[in-house]
Amino acid sequence: MLTDRIICALTLLLAAVYFYATAQIPALEIGDPLGPKAFPILLGIALIAAAVLLFIETLKKGRGSRAEVPRENLRHLWFIGGVTLWTALYFSVFERAGYLGATTIFLIVLMAVFNRGKWRANTLTAVLFAVGSYVLFAKVLGVMLPKGVPPIESLSSAVDAAWTFAASAAAGVFGR
Amino acid sequence: MDTLGHILNGFNVALMPINLWYTFLGCFMGTIIGILPGIGPAAGIGLLIPITFGMDPTSALIMMAGIYYGAMYGGSTTSILINTPGEASSVMTALDGYQMAKNGRAGAALAVSAIASFLAGTLGIVALTLLAIPLAAIALKFGPAEYFCLMLFALAAVSSLTGKSAAKGLLSTLLGLMVATVGIDLQSGQPRYTMGVPELQDGVGFLIVVVGMFAIGEVFSNLEDHVKGKAEIIRLHGRLWLTREEWRRSIMPIVRGGLIGFFKGVLPGAGATIATMLSYTVEKRVSKHPEKFGTGMIEGVAGPEAANNAATCGAMVPLLTLGIPGSGATAVLMGAFIMYGIQPGPLLFEKRPDLVWGLIDSMYIGNIMLLILNLPLIGLFVRILYIPTGILLSLILAISAIGVYAINGNTLELQMALMFGVIGYVFRKIDIPLAPMVLALVLGGIMEQSFRQAMTISGADPRVFVGSGISITLLVLAVVMVLLPVVLPRLRKLKEGTENLES
Repeated sequence: MLTDRIICALTLLLAAVYFYATAQIPALEIGDPLGPKAFPILLGIALIAAAVLLFIETLKKGRGSRAEVPRENLRHLWFIGGVTLWTALYFSVFERAGYLGATTIFLIVLMAVFNRGKWRANTLTAVLFAVGSYVLFAKVLGVMLPKGVPPIESLSSAVDAAWTFAASAAAGVFGR
Repeated sequence: MDTLGHILNGFNVALMPINLWYTFLGCFMGTIIGILPGIGPAAGIGLLIPITFGMDPTSALIMMAGIYYGAMYGGSTTSILINTPGEASSVMTALDGYQMAKNGRAGAALAVSAIASFLAGTLGIVALTLLAIPLAAIALKFGPAEYFCLMLFALAAVSSLTGKSAAKGLLSTLLGLMVATVGIDLQSGQPRYTMGVPELQDGVGFLIVVVGMFAIGEVFSNLEDHVKGKAEIIRLHGRLWLTREEWRRSIMPIVRGGLIGFFKGVLPGAGATIATMLSYTVEKRVSKHPEKFGTGMIEGVAGPEAANNAATCGAMVPLLTLGIPGSGATAVLMGAFIMYGIQPGPLLFEKRPDLVWGLIDSMYIGNIMLLILNLPLIGLFVRILYIPTGILLSLILAISAIGVYAINGNTLELQMALMFGVIGYVFRKIDIPLAPMVLALVLGGIMEQSFRQAMTISGADPRVFVGSGISITLLVLAVVMVLLPVVLPRLRKLKEGTENLES
């Protein structure tokens, strides 16, 4: 199994990074005899053991069958990637654009993709959810939420934030 | 006599109108969460924790426990009607439950799972009540070394028993422990792995990981299924009750499933899922018509449904008496205790008997409420399944945002939750189980602390971990747990080999 080999390699890499980061912790020998490094070092060693165990497992499986895995349709990955980016954008303007507006737009776009064609029901659900959840959580239950409708200057900074986010995301996807 | 007084007083607490209301609310939400795809009890409890800040801890915990065992009732509904188990623990129910529904016995399948859940759930709480006191008394004798060994055993069991590969389970556990080391080290005051980010000084919030992995990640994998195509819902019709014949066939599987479930639930790692598999196998083996299993046998629904509900009660035993959860959902429940500043464990039985017994006794009442919710009212809950998946999943994402933001009002934490969502999605794809990681994250801090305390007491002599009978036993058990998946197939092969030689 190729994926399992990759996991193995990544685990070893992680162990190396973790050891390096552990070495960076300044140790002052006061109080307990072990200090802040001992437990993490044990974890790092166990992580290497896990990688070895996984490698042994892949060897066993590899001998069993070497059937070609049919190439999966990867279209869904585009959807997942898109939802992730869209959600990240929503989270980054969440405070400054105001809860009501941001949530309504976030939901309408998601539903337009995943519940296609029913725009009237989708819009209604999105608005009702945004208003309903705001009233219930922020007003009735006193849960911490961003302001429902933000002041104007905050709105323009939200646009800036969205713009910066989109630019950096585009830079990440298309170019280096 | 004192204990009996505490148990009875627990009913006083549980029967207070406000607590009755929260029991109901918990059971109600639990049923819905069990039915909804894309959100399970762990995520449900995780999302509720920040919202219930400031509530009376007893009431809040009663409600969250209600979500936990209520979800087991709801989980069977989707298994039976759309052949998509909401939780791993209702996979076995789908095998015969969905076939019963296709044969026009959806009503009977739903009824038997509600009844089996109720009977086994109640049986489980009785066993919990009886077992809690002696176990808590033993646990009082534990020192830091014994606690460390106990946690090692619990994590070893969970690593090797959840998921398909022991190595991946171990990997998941270690990742959780490593995430737990992020933040300021409480004993030395040194920041560790914070990369200069101030938000990380207090560590990676446990709720962020839970909501990320169990809510957002689950939405991603459900979106994938949604894009690929969807399941057909079988409409519910016919009477919601059993024939005399069906009733007669169900009663023994319920009793057997309940016993299996409870004991599997008490053991860390084994939990509800393995209990349902075991119960199904047992029913198939004792049946006169094993070949008919998978075509709509009521025994195949009654046994596993009893098992998963009894297992949730069993899982409360180590959580309450030892302070060691044995599964993902109970780990989140433990997180809830800690958020309220309550450390579950043997001392809790002495310090807050009202809370412990109020919680346990509320489960008796909750089970009765759930029976009512799930028999006459199941038709209402089933309607939730008619909500288009695209709308439902979008809303769960928005609810996750509320839940995470409510913790500290921090948008960086929202992005972290999203990151854990992506990690959770990827882990599901590559078969790395999530429960061990969450469990390890909850236990990590306490585990390191007891490790260091034990070493401080002994003057850095590691022999302290083999200093008592209890800790030696636990260490041996931990090693056995790790070796079990490696050795077991070999043993079987060896046995088959000798049998072949004999014949």
